[in-house]
Amino acid sequence: MGLKGYIFRRIIYMLILLWAVMTINFFIFSLLPGNPLQAYVGSLQKMDQTRYEELKKMYGLDRPLHEQYLLSLRNLITFNFGTSGQSRLPVRDLIFKERLPNTLILMGLSTVISIILGMLIGVIAAYKRGGTFDTTMVTGSLITYSVPIFFLAWLMIGFFALYLHWFPSSLEQPVSWNRNPPANVFEFIAGRLYHLILPMTTLVLFSVGGWILLTRACVLETINEDYVLTARAKGLKDRTILYKHVLKNASLPLITNVALSFAFMISGAIITETIFSYRGMGLLTWNAIMAPAGGSDLPLLQAIFYILALCVIIANFIADLVYGIIDPRIKYG
Amino acid sequence: MATREQKIKFAIKRFKGFWNQFKRSKRGVVGLVVIILFSFVAIFADFIAPYDPLKPEFGKGEYPALGAASGFRIADKYCKPIWYKYLPWIPRGKTEIVENFYCIIKYYEGIGYLPFYAHEGIANATDNVLRVEHRIAVLKKIEMAEEDGVFKKLNSTQWYIEKARPREIHIVDLPKNGTKFRVTYETGVDLVENMKIVKDHKFASKESFHEEWSWTSTNSSFATVNYNSEKGYAFGINPETEDHGCIQISYNPVTTPPKEGVTVTLSRPFVYPYFEPPNDFYIHTSIWVNGESNVTLSFLFSKENETEPYYLLSVQHLPTTSWTSTSHLSYASTDTGIIKTVGASPVVDRIFASPGRYNFSVQITFPAENKSTTVYLDYVDCIIYGNTFGLLGTDNGFGTKPYVRDIFSTLIYGSRVSLFVGVLTALFSTFIGLFLGLISGYVGGIVDEGIMRFADLLLVLPTLPLFIVLVVALRASSGMVSMWNIILILTMFGWMSFARSVRSMVLSIRERAFIEAAKAAGGSKLHIINRHIIPNVFALVYITLATSVPGAIIVEASLSWLGLGDKRLASWGKMLYEFNASGVQVTKGMTEYWFWIFPPCIAIALLAAAFILVGFALDEILNPRLRERR
Repeated sequence: MGLKGYIFRRIIYMLILLWAVMTINFFIFSLLPGNPLQAYVGSLQKMDQTRYEELKKMYGLDRPLHEQYLLSLRNLITFNFGTSGQSRLPVRDLIFKERLPNTLILMGLSTVISIILGMLIGVIAAYKRGGTFDTTMVTGSLITYSVPIFFLAWLMIGFFALYLHWFPSSLEQPVSWNRNPPANVFEFIAGRLYHLILPMTTLVLFSVGGWILLTRACVLETINEDYVLTARAKGLKDRTILYKHVLKNASLPLITNVALSFAFMISGAIITETIFSYRGMGLLTWNAIMAPAGGSDLPLLQAIFYILALCVIIANFIADLVYGIIDPRIKYG
Repeated sequence: MATREQKIKFAIKRFKGFWNQFKRSKRGVVGLVVIILFSFVAIFADFIAPYDPLKPEFGKGEYPALGAASGFRIADKYCKPIWYKYLPWIPRGKTEIVENFYCIIKYYEGIGYLPFYAHEGIANATDNVLRVEHRIAVLKKIEMAEEDGVFKKLNSTQWYIEKARPREIHIVDLPKNGTKFRVTYETGVDLVENMKIVKDHKFASKESFHEEWSWTSTNSSFATVNYNSEKGYAFGINPETEDHGCIQISYNPVTTPPKEGVTVTLSRPFVYPYFEPPNDFYIHTSIWVNGESNVTLSFLFSKENETEPYYLLSVQHLPTTSWTSTSHLSYASTDTGIIKTVGASPVVDRIFASPGRYNFSVQITFPAENKSTTVYLDYVDCIIYGNTFGLLGTDNGFGTKPYVRDIFSTLIYGSRVSLFVGVLTALFSTFIGLFLGLISGYVGGIVDEGIMRFADLLLVLPTLPLFIVLVVALRASSGMVSMWNIILILTMFGWMSFARSVRSMVLSIRERAFIEAAKAAGGSKLHIINRHIIPNVFALVYITLATSVPGAIIVEASLSWLGLGDKRLASWGKMLYEFNASGVQVTKGMTEYWFWIFPPCIAIALLAAAFILVGFALDEILNPRLRERR
């Protein structure tokens, strides 16, 4: 079948996943006992007549259930999420122009850093297995794995922001940018990075333990294979063997895990962003939960969940493609 | 066939062998010890925790009912732990304090320009007086920075302190915008513990009354104080067993009334050892006036070596018929009447300005009339609320206004929720995973495909957002979330990866020769799964049980941290949510309230790590070929 057939099958699978996510979305909000969406919109009737009418029309709440379902599919496909209950801005603009890019920067950077760091440490730990470095790293990974991320974030703020005053404790960009925006690109990047460092370090600490353990396990499985022995017999350097022969073969399960770790990182990012007041999807989630009038802002939450699930599905798809290109069994299979 | 006894013996032997192997793994033993410790704490939380975790009341049932509450709050909010003052870097005693302010001038329509003084480091100015942190005992100097940055001392005509507000300095002239002020003053800095001044507020015995109280009368031939063992205020459920002691003050003008009113003063001496005033206090008493004369009841504090006592307030027209529900009077130091008579706010700044011997007194004044009257007093007490309390201090009583909670008790009770949710979720999801994995692996075909694709779909969904959405949706439709909802949700999305590994294991076992032999011998599907496959998979079950608990614990804590947990239970995540929502970390910095957030965070991490360690140890013993698999 080859690569083309593989990609085709993946695309079909992705489309099915998309449909399933949309259906789950509809299921949670309209079919759970008590009909949460109906309850939410109903509670708005007394407080906010215009929003009540708008939401009722958007979700077609007075129409039969199958029409509601089709309407919700259409809304989700066209990214029609209505307006936010608090800021009265269109949710689509809010998410795509500001929140999602911020989150993707934070998560992307910290994912890349933690993968590189985790792989390096994991390979070295596996190579020197049983030694002090290995024991320290495995224990350290177990600790960071079990420490809840809000504790990590608070420790970061407490030590680096409040005690040492090295980094700011909140926001994603300097406050002064509201009045006078940065003059050039370098200033922009520097200001952003300065504010990114603490939340990024938190997320890296949160996820690097998993990568260390996984890389170590994968490398340990391949390090005793015959071809490694052959390479050693050929007189290759240890480093060459480790990075060219062992890591390349051990990296296949790692790639699959990249996509799955994306879902894992989102959980961490929600809490990190909330603590650091970093204006991304996580803080938006917190704001939606804590919406003052009429309880939590369900339409906004629905949009957030949908977009995040979409991100994970796309990440999975990309990981599958990379997997297909790297794994010769698929390419020539 | 082996007998039952043999089977048991075999099981014990197997367990012993397993235990000998487990003992060798240090990590595993440490984890097991921690888990056992936490389970012990969770089971005996009722005996370990000194207070109720949700609605603690001080002296519950000890005082006559006041409205809905039957007791008083246990402490003031944001209390520090009792051991806090033993930390070497915490100042105590008379201290000189220097505070900096910046002047911000704002223009207001109709009022004109007004100065606002902001504390150094605080952006938002709130008032046009310098509001210092502590009570000013001695004001050393106020300095104002000139344009060249040199500080110059202000004359006493340029500022004044109102007697009623010993924490505020008013500046007379309007300074320039951005002017820096530096205030140097002396004050007492201390950490004050709660004090209950009267030990036997029920007047249970005559001896304790005479020990604690002394009395004086302006005319002792007319009015006398006695201990009465009969007429006490029995508000309790069973008046038969309730003590009946009270104070009896009799006024007997035999033939001619006295020229002026007779005052009887009952005093309870106590020592106030702290340099800093307490946060507030609470006074109360039950009174019954048997007679027609209009008696005045007053409360006062007096200090040794000071001539003028501090009158708090006087009450007239007291209940006369008998003990009723209105017989009990109680006042907080924030009572407007008290503030008015003492002439200071907060009142405690004035009264408890320095350490020393004090008297808490109740005064009864009989008017000069020819009416013989008896006054009964019961439940006379004064409770002083300091700023330290308990082993870990108190929180701000978030959501339940009068109930400030003891952090230590909440921490103890929180172990229940975490352990319960973690263990139950692990049990349920492992069971479901085992079941679906077995079916999918052994039955195969379309069932296998269906289950695995469904698992893939659920694995793709971002978990925490999904949980948030589910919990919020449940909350919107049913109004609340219970712990069982959370367990259910976590179980629903926790079985997939285990089902996958069970399936792959079943797939390889299915092809082994002994299964073929069992099939040839005529074993049914159920029999083969039950007797041949499950025993081979079961090692994995133990490992997964241990390793999936920490995930559930952390997710539950995260949900509670977001305010989406069970509101009726004290959980570790909820403690953190309350800290987060209290706004403390913005204003005071978490560096000051670390004892509030560190214990629950460390507890979560410890418990999670303990389960992971046990899981790893089991992994090494039961499954030497499998390394940590997530």
